[in-house]
Amino acid sequence: MNGLLGPILVIVWKDILLELRSRDLVVSILVFGLLVVVVFNFALNNAPGRAAELAPGILWVAFAFSAVLAMNRAFVREQEQGGLEGLLISPVSRDAIFLGKVLTSLIFMLLIEAALLPVYAVMLDFSALSLTLVLTIFLGTLGFAVVGTLFSAMAVQTRSREIMLPVLFFPVVLPIIIAAVEASTRAVGGETFVGLGRWLPLIGIFDALFLVICPWIFAFVVEE
Amino acid sequence: MLELILLDTHLPSANLPYLFAAFAISWVVLFGYLFYVNRRQHEMRKEITRLQHVLEQSPENE
Amino acid sequence: MAATQGIKSSGGLGIPSLKTGMAAIAGVMMLVDLYFIFMVAPTDAVLGHVQRVFYFHVPIAIMSFLAFFVVFLGSLMYLIKRTPKWDAIAHASAEVGVVFVTLALLTGIIWARPVWNTWWTWEPRLTTTLILWLIYVAYLMVRSYAPTESKAAIYAAVMGIIGFVDVPIVYYSVVWWRSIHPSPVVGPFAESDALTGTMSLILLYSLITFVFLFIYMVMERMSLRKMEEELGKIRFSLRRRRR
Repeated sequence: MNGLLGPILVIVWKDILLELRSRDLVVSILVFGLLVVVVFNFALNNAPGRAAELAPGILWVAFAFSAVLAMNRAFVREQEQGGLEGLLISPVSRDAIFLGKVLTSLIFMLLIEAALLPVYAVMLDFSALSLTLVLTIFLGTLGFAVVGTLFSAMAVQTRSREIMLPVLFFPVVLPIIIAAVEASTRAVGGETFVGLGRWLPLIGIFDALFLVICPWIFAFVVEE
Repeated sequence: MLELILLDTHLPSANLPYLFAAFAISWVVLFGYLFYVNRRQHEMRKEITRLQHVLEQSPENE
Repeated sequence: MAATQGIKSSGGLGIPSLKTGMAAIAGVMMLVDLYFIFMVAPTDAVLGHVQRVFYFHVPIAIMSFLAFFVVFLGSLMYLIKRTPKWDAIAHASAEVGVVFVTLALLTGIIWARPVWNTWWTWEPRLTTTLILWLIYVAYLMVRSYAPTESKAAIYAAVMGIIGFVDVPIVYYSVVWWRSIHPSPVVGPFAESDALTGTMSLILLYSLITFVFLFIYMVMERMSLRKMEEELGKIRFSLRRRRR
């Protein structure tokens, strides 16, 4: 276990340092996330009474699109600088590379979401201080990170890579989006864990399943 | 009024256009695909024989 | 003339004759199927003639699921064994599957209008079929946009496996979603699940017909791919000789 954890942390630390120096990813996604709320507010004619009903949907559309943009950007940057090739030459297992990338994406996404959530809560008038909502966001984002990392590694190699990631990503993560919106609606409404019903376990099962399959498949994606 | 509409859709002949449309689309798509594959095969075959011919000739040119 | 060349270029007598045989079986069975559907099958008491769409729509939908099961198996075997044959099977099956799933959606829409009084409803099976379509269109896209042939095969296999694993989760999430958000338009007649004996027999026959048609279509697509590969080889050796 220690042999896996060490390299993972090194990969994560490397990406965090890179981001601290350039700061082009987190900031741009944050601005994008704010734009989504503004656009949806007018597109859906968000009247005061409807805010609670619409908020979870807007929240997850913003998170899902931010996730796609962030992961695409991260892998394009990696590709331009030849970072991934360097990693693949180094004596690190493919599992560690994959899990390191997943952890990096997860950390970045959670940071972005933590910054956006209070703003959304104010603008869309719902209470973000809910443990169930936080857990839903964590599990949903984990699923996005696992599937998104695998597909980013593929999409970045293809022609028209900007469009390839969303085309691969969205149909597959649809269950997460459905379950996360349903769970968030209940969480915002003040339900406890039991009140969330099957939705949280559904995201959990999705995450666990793809956490098992994706590292195995990732080794094929990055092979020479 | 509602009963009248229901009666209308109940008549066996009322929805014949839908039946026609469904089968027409099925045939167009299935045959269209097979036709497309066949045409591509034909093009490939022509190209292969042409290039094979070129291939047989080319050593003599050298 | 073309046929003899086909035999020569595919390098064996077996494949074309098997393909022709399959075409003949599928064709004859399809004609009999049409006779059954329009002449033998009783007119549905509730739905009228449009119910005959059922004999096409249901087998086509089942075949699209079968096609993607074949894609899954082919993809899995390709990643494990690395023989191009498995990739060829998955590729052909995916393309034919997209044709079938497109048809399943189109006939489903035409079925929904008179029976459920709406063109589209977010019903679990219909929604899952739509997601299936999106997943396998993405499969074909990633294959054609990949940088090299071998990458194309691997990327496609990844989508073939992930997509298939995802389908049951999609289905159940939509089923649960529907149980809380029932569609406002509920058809006056839900499906007539009371199939009479003749009806279910004809449905079964139709399904078998489509299995043969599917096999034939996959074979045609595979021999097209074989030609593409052969052409690639000839082009390669030509280029080398020119140098």
